[in-house]
Amino acid sequence: MYLTRDEQAILDGEQGAGAQKAMELVTALGKIYGADSLVDITSAHLSGASYKTIGEGGLKYLSDMVEGGAMVAVPSTLNPVGMDRTRWKEMHISPEFAEKQLRIIELYGKMGIRKTCSCTPYLGDNVPSLGDHVAWAESSALSFVNSYIGARTNREGGPGALAAAILGKTANYGLHLDENRKPTVVIDAEDMGSSVFDYSLLGQAVGMKMGKGVPYFRGIDPTVEDAKTLSAAMAAAGSVALWHAEGSTPEAGNFDISGLEHITIGKKERQEAYDKLNTVDDVQLIALGCPHLTPKEMHDIASLLKGKEKRNKDVEIWFCTSESVRAQCPDDVKEMERFGPVLADTCMVVAPIEGTFQRTATNSAKAGNYLPTLCSQKVKFAELSDLLKVVE
Amino acid sequence: MIIKGRAISPGYAEGEAITYPEAFSFLGGVDGKTGKFNVRDGTIDGKVFLFPNGKGSTVGSYVVYDLKVQGHCPAALVNKSAETIVTTGAVISSVPMVDCVDVSLVRDGDIVAVDGNKGYIEIKDVEELDIVSSVILVDGKILLLHRPEKAHSYPGKWSFVSGHVERGESPEEAARREVMEETQISVSYPDAEFPVFRVREGNKVYNVHSYLYRLKSADVRLNEENTEFRWISPSEARKEEGVDGLCEVIEGFSEYF
Repeated sequence: MYLTRDEQAILDGEQGAGAQKAMELVTALGKIYGADSLVDITSAHLSGASYKTIGEGGLKYLSDMVEGGAMVAVPSTLNPVGMDRTRWKEMHISPEFAEKQLRIIELYGKMGIRKTCSCTPYLGDNVPSLGDHVAWAESSALSFVNSYIGARTNREGGPGALAAAILGKTANYGLHLDENRKPTVVIDAEDMGSSVFDYSLLGQAVGMKMGKGVPYFRGIDPTVEDAKTLSAAMAAAGSVALWHAEGSTPEAGNFDISGLEHITIGKKERQEAYDKLNTVDDVQLIALGCPHLTPKEMHDIASLLKGKEKRNKDVEIWFCTSESVRAQCPDDVKEMERFGPVLADTCMVVAPIEGTFQRTATNSAKAGNYLPTLCSQKVKFAELSDLLKVVE
Repeated sequence: MIIKGRAISPGYAEGEAITYPEAFSFLGGVDGKTGKFNVRDGTIDGKVFLFPNGKGSTVGSYVVYDLKVQGHCPAALVNKSAETIVTTGAVISSVPMVDCVDVSLVRDGDIVAVDGNKGYIEIKDVEELDIVSSVILVDGKILLLHRPEKAHSYPGKWSFVSGHVERGESPEEAARREVMEETQISVSYPDAEFPVFRVREGNKVYNVHSYLYRLKSADVRLNEENTEFRWISPSEARKEEGVDGLCEVIEGFSEYF
């Protein structure tokens, strides 16, 4: 791999041990994926924020990084953490967990990372532009910015994205290069309704069918909410990090799709995706906001709940969003709070819900994939309006 | 012997080898607090750990860091093919790592040096030897020789016509000489050759150079190096108790049979 004189100097330790370690990691990852050089990035988004996922090893790693003077060089945001910073008691979180979690956020803050902890930073906290090279972890968010915005990132891991943020550079391979952004298969989406839930099912079906690759959709015109949901589902059911939609996403017009394999996803395939994720009917928790609720989704939920009362007191309901979206929608928050807490900067997947619940409902295919493995939950997977009927 | 690979994480270390034959997940595969493996016996603590590649959760990178913090870190890591999780774990934990190494050549208990700066490993007290293995094909049948029970390598096993490459000799010349010595068959240029591969026997690693000779007929007269010979179809030969690599050679030449 070609390194400039300045980059080589960092690798040789001339700018301190922290930068050297970051350069070692970025160049090692570049080497195994065949990068020829490094590329400047305009932002980073980091995973590895919840104490539940990174544990003691991760906590010690972060405190060692801070001690070594690590500081990010580009605007950087953080993934959801294991609890709402102020309302963690409502989430049945132990004080020990809370202390460790607050310490992790503190450590990231000391490295210059914005303490906004969301899987939807592209809604306002961290918004790349078309053609920007970035280093993002969080599979749903990176797929969204690759696809819907046309920024360029690989599927970074937590420490890799942090190293890139410190250097302001990442290795130039994979989705940073034009040739790897070409579609690999055409997905003909049939009979799509107007519900965002159809995008959860579509994404689940495509992820299950193709695993990885770059799908090119025909027959959809996704809104921000649809694109968020589709990105999350395909990244969880498979490892899709980039997709295009004809006439809709910014790069879709750049490619010739003649000769590509076609896959049709219609009602039957969406039903199969639904059956795969649905494993229980009666639930203890309804968790909405995977990925985090947008202002429009907050408003839609508040409208659905208006004038209704929570009847089923045994079922808890959580609404998960980012701190900035929560702050933007005070009236909707008020309406929703009658049913359950509107939690900021956390979610049902990265919080330690397994200590309290065994059966959880979601309208997200991403949560449907991860709740059984990361949180030992049985899952009810259904449309938002159906889920809310349980408590009305 | 030295095996060239690719430098992944800098540093140099030596230690006793511990191996795992399949893709390995640090999350669940080893206890980050004690260093004890969950998927095999033994500990990773202070060892050179060799396995084909990583898999599983990205949290695995932090498990490597946890091992370091708890004082149970491996001395070095060696892969056939590095991926993100193990690479990240090695680099952030300052554990030397090399990949592009055929880890199946290393045995538990070998003393292995890993140079993560230059990108190679050295298996101490293991010698590397070039050997030839020649397949004689007549009428769809191939010649197998039976090695004596007292042979110093692979006793009692079936093999092709094989032997060491002598100093100053090319592998092809060695093949021709061995065929003449062991069978009294005269061959000239081979009809095909197969990329060199390696097999391990005891404290030796053989670099196997394989050749195929297609002949109209052949009259085999054995010397003392073998006790018996047999003309056999390639598919039957695969079922015999053969030396290591016999099936690979048959597979490699299958289009000629």
